[in-house]
Amino acid sequence: MAESLTRISRPQRWDVPFDPSMSEAEVDRLLAIPPLSTVDQARFPPTIPLRGILHNDARIRRFEPGDIIVRESDYGNSAFFILSGEVRIVLDPLPSEMLGRRPPQKKSFLASLAQLWSRPRQPEVRDYSSGKIAGSTDAAKVRARQATGEEVRIFLQDVPGVLEKNRTARLGPGELFGEIAALSRAPRTATAIAEGPAELLELRWQGLREIRKYAPEWKAHVDRLYRERSLGTHLRETPFLKNVSDEVLQRVAEHTLFESYGDFEWNASYRTVREASAQERLAKEPVIAHEGDYPNGLILIRSGFARLSRKYNNGERTISYLGKGDVFGLASLFGTARESGPVGLQFSLRAIGYVDVLVIPTPIFEELIAPRFSAEEIHALQKRVQNEMQIDLGRDAGATFGPEMIEFLVEQRYVNGTATMLIDLDRCTRCDDCVRACAASHDNNPKFIRHGRVQNGIMVANACMHCVDPVCMIGCPTGAIHRESIEGQVVINDLTCVGCATCANSCPYDNIQMVEIRDHRGKFILDEATQTPILKATKCDLCVDQLGGPACVRACPHDALIRADMREIDQLERWLNR
Amino acid sequence: MSPLLVRRLCFTCGLLVVSALMFFWWHVWRAALRPDEIYTGLILILLVLGLALFNARKKLPFLPLVRAATWLQIHIYAGWFCLFVFLLHIRFRMPGGAFEITLALVFCIVILSGFFGLYISRHLPPRLARSGEPLLYERMPAFRLRIQREVEALVRQAEVETESSTLSNFYVQYLRDFFTEKPSAFYALGRAGRKWHTLYAETSALDRYLNEREKAIASEIRDWLETKRNLDFQYASQRLLKLWLFVHIPFTYSLILLGLAHGFVATLYAGRW
Repeated sequence: MAESLTRISRPQRWDVPFDPSMSEAEVDRLLAIPPLSTVDQARFPPTIPLRGILHNDARIRRFEPGDIIVRESDYGNSAFFILSGEVRIVLDPLPSEMLGRRPPQKKSFLASLAQLWSRPRQPEVRDYSSGKIAGSTDAAKVRARQATGEEVRIFLQDVPGVLEKNRTARLGPGELFGEIAALSRAPRTATAIAEGPAELLELRWQGLREIRKYAPEWKAHVDRLYRERSLGTHLRETPFLKNVSDEVLQRVAEHTLFESYGDFEWNASYRTVREASAQERLAKEPVIAHEGDYPNGLILIRSGFARLSRKYNNGERTISYLGKGDVFGLASLFGTARESGPVGLQFSLRAIGYVDVLVIPTPIFEELIAPRFSAEEIHALQKRVQNEMQIDLGRDAGATFGPEMIEFLVEQRYVNGTATMLIDLDRCTRCDDCVRACAASHDNNPKFIRHGRVQNGIMVANACMHCVDPVCMIGCPTGAIHRESIEGQVVINDLTCVGCATCANSCPYDNIQMVEIRDHRGKFILDEATQTPILKATKCDLCVDQLGGPACVRACPHDALIRADMREIDQLERWLNR
Repeated sequence: MSPLLVRRLCFTCGLLVVSALMFFWWHVWRAALRPDEIYTGLILILLVLGLALFNARKKLPFLPLVRAATWLQIHIYAGWFCLFVFLLHIRFRMPGGAFEITLALVFCIVILSGFFGLYISRHLPPRLARSGEPLLYERMPAFRLRIQREVEALVRQAEVETESSTLSNFYVQYLRDFFTEKPSAFYALGRAGRKWHTLYAETSALDRYLNEREKAIASEIRDWLETKRNLDFQYASQRLLKLWLFVHIPFTYSLILLGLAHGFVATLYAGRW
């Protein structure tokens, strides 16, 4: 007798609403509150109505005085709209203990050991019969939340003391916050506390994205906030502006320009760009500043990556890449300040993908910032630039981490990775211990492929790089692919993944796989309606719930594999030249 | 000084110090008429058991144990020390008796296979890294078949387009075996590529008998020869890098069983049981 197959309904967007208890009455109430009441609902497509967004991508949250709404440095996937009450934004960093921060939940030693005999024999097994979803790192947390029906809250002790000792900003009804982190896939820049009883509408970024898309007035409002708030925060983060007075910072901020280069959804064109020649690729990268031009101002990279290059014969030679917090044009500006005439830029700066920059105009720099530098600092800076300008082809040819490697990392956009899997092929014996370790730690399902592009004997394997700018998250309709709140690993919630493959198609590096899931007998789980297998997205989760961290790294007997943060160029260079 | 050199220096010095101490105590035991064979035998079996735990560690990658890279370093130097203790145990003489000789032989196979594994895992990866696009071992048979089919298609194309059988005859007589065969695991250690060089030279020499179209096809065939050479080298190297463990690990388990039996018998007849 043929065994019966498991059949379920194909998961859909909004199968798992943000808040299952959100009622139609509450949606009606929200639609009566400005500015939602001013939004023209007819602009929304029938498949994604505004009501549907509010019903499924939003939830109403009530906070008591002192409750922490969002914490600085947490990765967030939602923005908050204040319905009633007041919220204080703490602009200064608060101690971790005060914010109730604890290390992420890991498996216990016994639970880890139990993986030895409890993992299924078949690949990609999910158990829908008992409500237990095998292989999901978040399922337990989701179940626990659903079971208790309770929300874990953190409240701040000594609110008056905190508010007195730190710089804060007050937000009231009708204001929006948290949109920067939600839309830029970046960590929260400040902590928000409920000052009194407050009612907030929390919008998943997918919902916020749809509202921005179909309601232009919201887009203009959100974009204005985004520009205003990111400017102030970023200026504060810049090392040489850290200790300036509020007045000076205010003057700098007033004159600072906010500019964006490249395409926010750069992944769409990446595959075609990657196959083009070096010259064509370079021609397609938007120029932020051109070598030889007069420096119009000091450029601060706010987010994204930029290529630093210098003209060499008929081409451009990549010197380095700049990321968040890096500064461009400092040496030229000092040169201009010292020389009688203007000194041109020594390098060109081009956007790799999408880059946000702040430009502090030259006169403001000369008046307010330049005097803060000592003569020794200026001399050291100019000496470093002189060294970078020298090109020695002979020396570069033999270097493991020379221009060739930098060029490769930039051109392939691997600089985006915070945990890029690099394999030193001079040491790798192809034993596949890394793959086996990965499979053993993930219910017999390896989450990466030991294969990828190679440069100078270094392979960049097909493993999720946990990007600084995770473009895979852009189109996810349910928010299943998200960042872990503290360490920022990009993970997939298997329970809410609808198998639409948007993330897999968006990943520029082909590091997300779509798999057909099975029951414990190895039979495919089928969609009730179409009788086709149910798909789920899977990828490396950096062993987020394992005790020892990434199993692949610890399993390599030849020390041939690392997970490298590409922003740490010095560390990367040390590893490559070891 | 590079970190690698520092590490090697530290481990080598450690090994020499521990071996010197062991040698000293061995002399002391012998001078004091102590049963040094029992002592060295006990140390030896404990060392072998400890070394064998490396394989167990590989089965538990999810536990926060010492990194496999560190473990391997200890495994290698402990292996050298094990050899030294073994020599003390047999008192630098050939053991007598069939069981002891068998045990010594198994020990030698384990040690020699270990050294061989160490040699090839240092020697082959850099060569593999420079032998064309890295290939996954599991995908190699399919790739071999693809190469063979591509070359056969080229040969047929030459025959149809030029109405000449020179290239197809040459393929059947000289090249077909090369494109279909799988090299032995030791191909990577021998004079790999000698046959390829000959075939490549002969294919090049054939040009004088070919028209322009055939020359173009012959050039493409030479590219496939190069691809097949890389595939052969990668296949043989990766196979060897896997196969040596099929000697090292089973013989280790045999050594443990035989060693325990030997220990039991030796202590029993030494009147210490």
